[in-house]
Amino acid sequence: MAESYGSPGGGGRRPATPAPEPHLERLSDQAPGRIVRLRRRELSEGEACLLAAMGLSVGCRLVVRAAGDPCIVEVRSTRIGLARAVAERLLVHDEPAGRP
Amino acid sequence: MSEPRGVPAAAAAPGAVLDLEPRARRGPHRLLLFGNPNTGKTTLFNRLCGLRAKTANFPGTTSDLRVGRMTIGAGEEAESAEVVDLPGLYSLRLDLPESRVAARALAGAEGDAPAAAIVVADATNLPRHLMLVGELRASGVPLVVALNMIDLAHRRGLSFDLARLSGALGAPVVAVSARSGEGVDRLVRAVRAVVGGVRIPASVAAPATDQAALEAWAEELVAASVGGARALGAGSDTLTDRLDETFTHPVAGFLIFHLVMAALFWTIFALATVPMDLIDATFAHLGGALESVLPAGDVRDLVVGGLIGGVSGTVVFLPQIALLFFLITLLEDTGYLARAAFVMDRLLCRFGLPGYAFVPLLSAHACAIPAILSTRLIPDRHDRIATILVAPFMSCSARLPVYVLLTSFLFLDRPVLAGLAFAGCYVLGAVAAFGSALIARRTVLPGASRPMVLELPSYKWPSLRVAAANAFEQAWAFLRTAGTVILVICFVMWWLSAYPKAPPPAPALALERQAAELAASAPERAAALGDEAARLVARHQQESSFAARLGRLAEPVFAPLGYDWRLTMGVMSSFAAREVFVSTVAVLAGAGEDAAEPGIVARLRRATRDDGTPLLTTATAVSLLVFFVLAMQCLSTTVTVHRETRSWRWPALQFVWMSGLAWVGAFAAYRGLHALGVS
Repeated sequence: MAESYGSPGGGGRRPATPAPEPHLERLSDQAPGRIVRLRRRELSEGEACLLAAMGLSVGCRLVVRAAGDPCIVEVRSTRIGLARAVAERLLVHDEPAGRP
Repeated sequence: MSEPRGVPAAAAAPGAVLDLEPRARRGPHRLLLFGNPNTGKTTLFNRLCGLRAKTANFPGTTSDLRVGRMTIGAGEEAESAEVVDLPGLYSLRLDLPESRVAARALAGAEGDAPAAAIVVADATNLPRHLMLVGELRASGVPLVVALNMIDLAHRRGLSFDLARLSGALGAPVVAVSARSGEGVDRLVRAVRAVVGGVRIPASVAAPATDQAALEAWAEELVAASVGGARALGAGSDTLTDRLDETFTHPVAGFLIFHLVMAALFWTIFALATVPMDLIDATFAHLGGALESVLPAGDVRDLVVGGLIGGVSGTVVFLPQIALLFFLITLLEDTGYLARAAFVMDRLLCRFGLPGYAFVPLLSAHACAIPAILSTRLIPDRHDRIATILVAPFMSCSARLPVYVLLTSFLFLDRPVLAGLAFAGCYVLGAVAAFGSALIARRTVLPGASRPMVLELPSYKWPSLRVAAANAFEQAWAFLRTAGTVILVICFVMWWLSAYPKAPPPAPALALERQAAELAASAPERAAALGDEAARLVARHQQESSFAARLGRLAEPVFAPLGYDWRLTMGVMSSFAAREVFVSTVAVLAGAGEDAAEPGIVARLRRATRDDGTPLLTTATAVSLLVFFVLAMQCLSTTVTVHRETRSWRWPALQFVWMSGLAWVGAFAAYRGLHALGVS
């Protein structure tokens, strides 16, 4: 799904984030230490493929290391920093620790 | 089991079979070095080839192909192999430049088909790195897997069943530490065996290349062959979390970033003074010695005034350039720069630049060319072109000699003010870059920048060896430029200022006659008159030279900025390369003076224009500083921009915009200072 992060003309990003489904939450809203499972990426195909190659594929489990901008997550021993505009478009649900 | 010539039996793993079909090739064996970003791939490349390629802790910095040579085998069976250091990539299937380059190299599109691929995998994060190995298996190219950072993995309690992993992958897996060199000999032997045709039958089928299949295959392999892996979320790395929080904090992170940058530049100027003085004194002694040995004439003028005077004016800045690269490499190596990129992202996005632009813009402080090449890591084309357009505004090392010369001229014996003026040049360049980016994103490159996603490498102590090697490589490249391009330009500038030969002017002849008459009765007075006559001859010669004619032709364009024909020639010759300004002015201002006199600043202070007024005034020096901060004066950069954008439109726009802005800025500075009563 192609999308833009702001109106033409530069000067910052104003993402128009969609409302998440009732059981899903935005990654950007998660507190540090929470373990979540990635369920959906509201990103362009190219960005989604890059995230998947870095380890952020749909269904993967990740732990939130830092909230805010950037949102820092750990997935398979890799730390990845995500600008808030990206983290807002990753939809996750809570995942108890210890589950595979 | 037969064995092809040169393959040691010991190198063949148990159960290995041999591929006896020789691969046709024209040159040495070609080995491709693959790996995700941040795997230590380039460090391993340096270990294997002994070359000094730049090692980055930042995804995508190794954006150009580097090729080195290594020897595989020993004694009479030793063979040379060519190692290609491919850009760090996450997957062959991504629509990114590095993925396309790697896929082409794998298919043999760049020459010989590869004899083998060495895949560097991070032992501390094997599942993701094995996904790349899985993709490469489908290519059919023989693989050798280097399990790098094995020392770090052991410290984290991980253990590896290498035989099982090797059997599952159908390729030798060798544990190495590229930093310490541990295991590299074993890796070379494994490469020798694979190149010689030894194959290990794979016990696990190659995965399908779709994402889900690759992930499942990699997870399964790791579960079967790696022990000690902790569960996700178990045992957080508190120190890393705290450092990340601090370094990316909106306020603290911003302050730390500026402190780090201030410390970086302070260190450069504090430490570089001694070697710079040493180089300056050495060239001065060399010039003096040659002047006393060589007979008077054109050859002496060329060697002492043209070549030594010109080259020394540039080479003296070598310590600063080497230190800049050394410190930037140290910073990259610690893992800090990736965090700083997020701090800068918040600032850069306001100007329509992506956070990814941070490393190219920082690198541009050393040189715009690697900076422009490293923009390949920026996924969005508009983001990338915007970064390319503004990167040359950042004050590169080639501008350092001009900044040092002019700030030293303006604030002689006032180092604090000179330092502030110096820092002001960097700030002006950055402001121009951000302002230009904002205008570009509202006009020729509409749209907002793409938000940043970046792998954050582990914090670690930087490697002095890697940093020193990189500094050496860059310093050597600078010296090569000084020894070739600058030497040639010095020669050309000397010739232009020395020819055509003009007859001595009448006042000089009169002074010589007076000197001859007084030689016996007042030898000191005669000597002074003789010196004055020589000065008049030299000045007349220079005023009649080709350089003067060319400078006068272009002078009307630059006269509003306060430049006479000499400074105009200095500015014009700098359009090929900025650093040439110092050598050109050194040559042109040296006429009639003692060219071997140490200190070009002293020479400039005494230099005068044709009408006898000072060559450089405060207003002229400030105008020149502004011009050099803003102007696009580097042919190599223009060519690189053309190559990277595949168009002449962008380099032409960049040249016109930057040069136009430079002229307007210099004019405003010159006229503004005059209006304030500063001449």
